[in-house]
Amino acid sequence: MKRLHPRIRALWIGNAVITAAVLGVVALVVSVVVDAIPWWAAVAVALFALSLGVGLALARYRVWRYEVREDALYLERGVFTRVRTVVPFVRIQHVDSSRGPLERLVGLGSTVVYTAGSRGADVTIPGLTPDGADDLRERLKRLAIRAEGEDAV
Amino acid sequence: MSRSLSPRSVPYRIVERAGSLVVTAVFLFSGASAALGPAGGVVAAVLAGLAVCLLVGYEVARYRRFEYDLGGGTLDIRSGVVSRRNREIPLRRVQNVDISRNVVQRLLDIAAVDFETAGGSETEASLRFVSFEEAKRLQSEVRRLKRDTSDAESEPETDAEPTDEEELFALSGRELALVGALSFDVRVPGLLFVLVSGSVPALSSVLPSESGVPFVAAGLVLAALAIVLVSWLGGAVAAVLNYYGFRLTRVDDELQYERGLLRRYDGSIPLDKVQTLTITDDPLKRYFGFAALEIETAGYAPGTGESGSEAAVPLASRERVYSLANRIEPFGSPAFERPPKRVRRRYALRYLLALGAVTALLYGVAAFAGWALPWPAYAPLVLAPVAPVAAHLTWRHRGYWLGENHVVTRNGFLRRRIKVVPYYRVQTVIDSRSLFQRRWQVATVTADTAGSRSLVGAHAAAVDVDEAVADDLRRELDARLRSSLAERRGWTDRSDAADSPA
Repeated sequence: MKRLHPRIRALWIGNAVITAAVLGVVALVVSVVVDAIPWWAAVAVALFALSLGVGLALARYRVWRYEVREDALYLERGVFTRVRTVVPFVRIQHVDSSRGPLERLVGLGSTVVYTAGSRGADVTIPGLTPDGADDLRERLKRLAIRAEGEDAV
Repeated sequence: MSRSLSPRSVPYRIVERAGSLVVTAVFLFSGASAALGPAGGVVAAVLAGLAVCLLVGYEVARYRRFEYDLGGGTLDIRSGVVSRRNREIPLRRVQNVDISRNVVQRLLDIAAVDFETAGGSETEASLRFVSFEEAKRLQSEVRRLKRDTSDAESEPETDAEPTDEEELFALSGRELALVGALSFDVRVPGLLFVLVSGSVPALSSVLPSESGVPFVAAGLVLAALAIVLVSWLGGAVAAVLNYYGFRLTRVDDELQYERGLLRRYDGSIPLDKVQTLTITDDPLKRYFGFAALEIETAGYAPGTGESGSEAAVPLASRERVYSLANRIEPFGSPAFERPPKRVRRRYALRYLLALGAVTALLYGVAAFAGWALPWPAYAPLVLAPVAPVAAHLTWRHRGYWLGENHVVTRNGFLRRRIKVVPYYRVQTVIDSRSLFQRRWQVATVTADTAGSRSLVGAHAAAVDVDEAVADDLRRELDARLRSSLAERRGWTDRSDAADSPA
């Protein structure tokens, strides 16, 4: 079982900081408009959101696991609801590797696997090095071709 | 050889669109006479006349520039007046061919034909309109050509060509009446409840508080009865309109259905595109020994279209539904494995918590909004003794079964769904355990398929099975999917398929 790159924590914490900042600004605006709410309530909101986000980010990193097995891709994730997904290679429709702006900033990438399913139709593995994401994409592609998922539906 | 649409589609479409034109014309008239005075009327008339000419011209041009062609393994459509579009659809990707005709179209003997493929929420191609005869010809041609192409690709043919049409199911008049009687449209009471509940506090504030209570109570009972009656009637009318003359036939390796009173539907479902079968019933139907069957294909959502599932047997005796389902997917008779008994306590707790939440909400409403409720706020707690019963029933009607070639799941008491999924249709296996489920050491294992119906909670899922069972199920489903797929595609001799249990 592989874990994600440790730097993904920085990315997720960064996301949490952004969310907390946005929430804090909104709360600040509200506290300026509504007299009854003191200014430090906005700070409290921001700090609460920040601690929650950081806690979640760390917990998410601790839980996340993935494994390229012999016949299937296996993923394990979720802080509150633990989700384990099995994606058989025969079912892979196509594979992407992608790098968002924040991901580029911390030098990470992700691989997205698509199936024809209705619920788990796309599965993202974040927190890979850019080369790792490309390698994983290539490897999954080869495995999917080997498993021959021609008539996927 | 390319063909064009029915010439009768031109006047029909012109009349169909003239409705919006009339509105535009009225708008133009009033606008023009306001801006230009008396001369405006003339200008507007000229403009309206121009619009009519444009519409007629456009429709004629559209008709003349629309060509389709069936052959060479594809359906080719060349269309477009201003911007041209050529579209080729490989026939083996076509999932359904649907024909629909409303009353006017039936009088004109024209029909709309829709071709559905997998992996798209939209209809891939539609012909508006061809003659009904041509529509039926297209339907059977697609079937024939598809079989030819699949033969060329040496796909394993299941059985020796039952070429003739075979009636699988026809809804008798008595059954149609029953469908109507048992169709209770839940959306209507929900909607009415939302509308009516807004006026309850207003009513109770108007009435004198002391003597008013019995009146309010009586009024509420009457309103509830009226709501039930209206929704029952609404459901009955909709069901009769939908399922009048329902017939399901098997032609070669395709299912064909027709139904509808005012708008008539003729559809086809290739048997090898069937993803899941769903057998549904509710306490009333179970008591009388009835059930319904839904047939789901990929990329095509039967229920999300106009009204009701298009390719579904609305009601039949349980034995008939099971034997029909078994003819489509021979899964046998499932022996369901229920979740562990401890989940009953979990459900009872859940229902009690829900009751508590409702009570708290009522208290909150009564305290803060100052609404006078016609009943005490703790009234919902009367239902508390029912919670263990409901929990037991929920548990009783859950279960899963791994058959030889199918996984079958069962969920729901009020609306029980039995989903039959062939192993080779499983896409991914998802095992999820929420915070609360982990407390009870249970998990939900979902077999995801390409069917597009299952958007909210209607997946084939073994809900609340023991964690150890879930681990096994996950592995087992994955292994059986691969071996079953290998068998279906004829790779059983391959080394990577040989090690998994057949």
